[in-house]
Amino acid sequence: MAGFKIKAKLKNGVVSVKAMAKHAMTTYDIAEKQTGDRENANFIFHITATVNGETVWEASTSQFLSKNPIFKYKFQGIGAKGDKVIMTATDRKGKTLKGKGKIK
Amino acid sequence: MERRKFLSMTFGALALATVPASVRAEDWRKAKPTVWTAKTVDDAIKAMYGDVKLIEEGIKIKTPDVAASGGAVPVNVKSSLKAKTVALFQDANPESAVIVFDINKYSVIDYDMKMKLKSVGKPITITVVVEGQDGKHYVGKRTLDVALGGCEG
Repeated sequence: MAGFKIKAKLKNGVVSVKAMAKHAMTTYDIAEKQTGDRENANFIFHITATVNGETVWEASTSQFLSKNPIFKYKFQGIGAKGDKVIMTATDRKGKTLKGKGKIK
Repeated sequence: MERRKFLSMTFGALALATVPASVRAEDWRKAKPTVWTAKTVDDAIKAMYGDVKLIEEGIKIKTPDVAASGGAVPVNVKSSLKAKTVALFQDANPESAVIVFDINKYSVIDYDMKMKLKSVGKPITITVVVEGQDGKHYVGKRTLDVALGGCEG
C-alpha cells in the first residue's frame, strides 16, 4: 500500500519535515490520455501530519501536485526528539496513505 | 420551515467560529468544492475567500526562474503573518487552485512542494493568498517560465 516516507529534524526549537508520498497522482488530463477515461484520475485530496495527537500540518490538495509528491514543512511548540510525526492522506478513490517518522 | 433552516444554519456557523484554531481541521475539498473547479485565479480566490481586498505584503514565494520540466516544479512559500489558511493558485493549468494549507498555533509557514505547471508558451504566475487571523487577506505573486510538459505527464 502506498505510504509516506518521513524525515524529521528538530533544531533550535523548530521541527523540519521532509515527506515523500508514493502516489501516481494522475490528473484528469493524464487519465484521459493514458486510459481514455477521465474517471481513472487519482490524486491525493487531503493530508494531515500529527505529533502527539495534535495537527502540525494540514493541506487540501488538487490534481496539480507532482507524481510521488515531496513536501517540506515546519512546525514548532510541540514534538521532542524521539516523538513520531504521523502522516495520513486520502486520495480521490478513497484510499488512505499512512506513514510515520521519528523526530531526530 | 424556512426560519428553522435559517436558525440551524446560524448555529452551525457559530459552532464553527468558536472552535479554536488548533482543533479546527478543515478539508477544503469537502468544505469548498467550487474552489477546486474554478478555472481562473480570481474565481478560485473568490470561491475560497469571497470578494476580499488583497493586501500585497508578507508573503515570499520561491521558484526557479525557468522550470526545466513542468511535471515537478519546486515551489517554496514563506510567511510570518499570523494566518488561518494559506492558498496557492496558478494561471497555467486547467483549474487554478493547487493547495490550501490549514494553519494553527504550531505552524511555521515555510512550506515546499513540487507541482505540475502546464507549459503554455508564456510566463506563469503563482499567486498565494494568506487569510490572516486579523480578518484581512494578503497576497504574494511570483512569475516564472516553464520550459515544457506539465499536466500532460
